[in-house]
Amino acid sequence: MTAATAGMILGSFTTPMRIGTSPASMLWLLPLVAVIAVVYKATKVHKIRLKPFAKESAVLFGSIIVFIGVAALILYGLTWFVTGQLPALLDSSAF
Amino acid sequence: MTGSWKDNHALFLIVIGALAWLAPGGGHFALQEKKRGIIIFVLIALTFAVGLYVGSIGVVNPVSAKPWYVAQVMNSPAVFLLGSYMTAAHQRAEARNDLSLAYPVYGRAGEVGQIYTSIAGLLNLLCIVNAIYMAHIQVVGEEESPK
Repeated sequence: MTAATAGMILGSFTTPMRIGTSPASMLWLLPLVAVIAVVYKATKVHKIRLKPFAKESAVLFGSIIVFIGVAALILYGLTWFVTGQLPALLDSSAF
Repeated sequence: MTGSWKDNHALFLIVIGALAWLAPGGGHFALQEKKRGIIIFVLIALTFAVGLYVGSIGVVNPVSAKPWYVAQVMNSPAVFLLGSYMTAAHQRAEARNDLSLAYPVYGRAGEVGQIYTSIAGLLNLLCIVNAIYMAHIQVVGEEESPK
């Protein structure tokens, strides 16, 4: 590896990437959840054997994603109610 | 005799904890848990590196993002070096009135970088505690096993 290549690689750590605020940017969640699931399971299982370890990590990964999805749906519903429905209800109220 | 055993036991746990902090997975590696150590090292180092790549080294910011920095330091004491470099960069930027010298971080990339590096640190904290616990269990097991 030349000094120029090494410099280029190190230099790429000094400027942030361009990531938009589109819904697709939420996909950055997936690798992080995978790391959390695998590292957590690595500290929990008695003995590390490939198949059971991969299965347990996958189950934890799925559980976290499902839980985040449910939390997101509840928060979305709450926001929809507070910003969309509640003002209309208050306007038509007798008070 | 009991006192010296306790002292050695405590020292052993401290050394394992220090190894686990020095390099992610180092504590487990020292306890002959090589698979565990390698998994922890690769994943935590990779997560930290991805965080730095996405958000730039500016996400390690002991000046204006202290709570995140505390979590990032859990990765390894080497983060202190990066932190002191960033503090010096901030001071240079203030002295010359040029913010670009302080590796500014903003937007979604800054958030992702900060979250990745900090979560990597917190995961390593979990692994440090786990390595100390495993060391304790090993010592207690050796003490109680029939000779």
